[in-house]
Amino acid sequence: MAPRWKGKDAKSKKDAEAEALKEPMSKIISQLQSSFVQSNTCGFLSDNCVHLAVQGEQLDLLDKACFGRPVRIVEKDMYWFQLTLEEAFYLCYFLKCLEINGRADDSPLSNEELWRYFKSKKEAFPCFYKVYSHLRIKNWVVRSGAQYGVDFIVYRHHPALVHSEYGVLVLSHDNDADLNGRLSVWSDVHCSTRLLGSVAKTLLVLYINKNGQNDESPLCLANYTIEERTISRWSPEQCRERSVLTFLDL
Amino acid sequence: MEGKVWGYSSNEDNDDVDEVYLQNASDDEEDLHSTSSSLPKLQFRNVKSKCRWNEEMGMAEVIEKNGKMWVSTGIVRSGKIYTSIEETLYLMELGALHLVDNEDRSISLIEMYKKVAGGKYGCCWELFEAYRHLKSLGYIIGRHDVAWSLKSIRSSQKPVAVEGAEESNQQVDTSSKVELSISKLFGELKINDLKPDFDIYLPDSRFRKSSPGDPNFLLYLSRGHLPSRAEIEVLEKQCEGIPLKVCLVTEGRVSFFSFDKVELPILP
Repeated sequence: MAPRWKGKDAKSKKDAEAEALKEPMSKIISQLQSSFVQSNTCGFLSDNCVHLAVQGEQLDLLDKACFGRPVRIVEKDMYWFQLTLEEAFYLCYFLKCLEINGRADDSPLSNEELWRYFKSKKEAFPCFYKVYSHLRIKNWVVRSGAQYGVDFIVYRHHPALVHSEYGVLVLSHDNDADLNGRLSVWSDVHCSTRLLGSVAKTLLVLYINKNGQNDESPLCLANYTIEERTISRWSPEQCRERSVLTFLDL
Repeated sequence: MEGKVWGYSSNEDNDDVDEVYLQNASDDEEDLHSTSSSLPKLQFRNVKSKCRWNEEMGMAEVIEKNGKMWVSTGIVRSGKIYTSIEETLYLMELGALHLVDNEDRSISLIEMYKKVAGGKYGCCWELFEAYRHLKSLGYIIGRHDVAWSLKSIRSSQKPVAVEGAEESNQQVDTSSKVELSISKLFGELKINDLKPDFDIYLPDSRFRKSSPGDPNFLLYLSRGHLPSRAEIEVLEKQCEGIPLKVCLVTEGRVSFFSFDKVELPILP
């Protein structure tokens, strides 16, 4: 599928595309990274997510880079912000620009501690994080896909500029035991493809192969491999030469 | 760019009011038409072809050839054309074929339906429905790895299965040898063989059995369960780079899916 830039007419769509080209996501994210590092930004564990207080430039950058959602404005221009487990771990572990407190003495948790904690909250966290980081590293914007019955939806740039093209499901390479047995029967495939198709998205399945690694530490991530497949309906009616009308003599 | 807030979740929610994907819309229209009383009517053609059913081969031999469809129907062996059970039944349904047995007695449509339902001759009811769906749209369909003609084997470098196994440079001269090899492929349909069922070509008036070229895609009929990733991989290994499509037939509705490997590009 070709990217679908947003805009009320052809010109505004071209403008959106130009804007995205002018400021690619990789650039925005590295700006976020340096800003957060400089200000020693710190978040807090909150059960199934991570919260932090942000304002000013950092608020801007989180928004532009599409991490998290604002929960509430606390003071003038100061927001209480919420990150998903994957987003938080990506900022901590990969971008190394966020620290997270969770202890009584307010000292930051190590990556290993965070990993164990997130795993305890979400059994499939290792696979979901691998997919999140795999796509983020390629500079795609990755957001929750819950409203479409998938795990993530991905955009080529900020959702304000472009429609998302793919709904992503995270599955296991060999058996689905630890990933809730999704997409296990044909009706699942019919459901997902029809739903996603009605909002012009393709179903993208990422199969994670743990390659025999146990997932006690985030170091296992380096040995996970991913196979990407799209699952789509094909319509034979729409895929024919015009010559068929003269050829058929039956 | 500084200070500009592009917006948070509201932009993503806008995807809900996206334009409806047109393909799904037209599919729904199709479904409405098919559930109305549009069963194919019995057709009587002026000019029919005539075939003799060969029970041992599980194929019909063409005795009288009429019509242009023979360019892309049936396989050629020793100067004769043989049709698979699905090809035979399809032409009979259209009223383009008169089928007889060894005693020249006419074989009825119902007898052929029973044969297909029995699952012998390498075909089953659902596979026939898939065949019929695509054939009526003009696609050219052959059993996977069955050569359209022996000329096509000699002209191509690739080893093609004339028999059940892959053998290159096989000179198949005697008709009895041909019969033996064909019967392996047109015999009992083994449920557990994981291999593509059909080679499919887009409608093309220039199609020639002597040099068909590579199929545009291969088709596998899903049997009983959604193929796992591992099974798709097993099927793809037999496709030699040709795209694979998986077909599902449920209660007469035929749908097709692709499970293509992709790699999302790295963005700027």
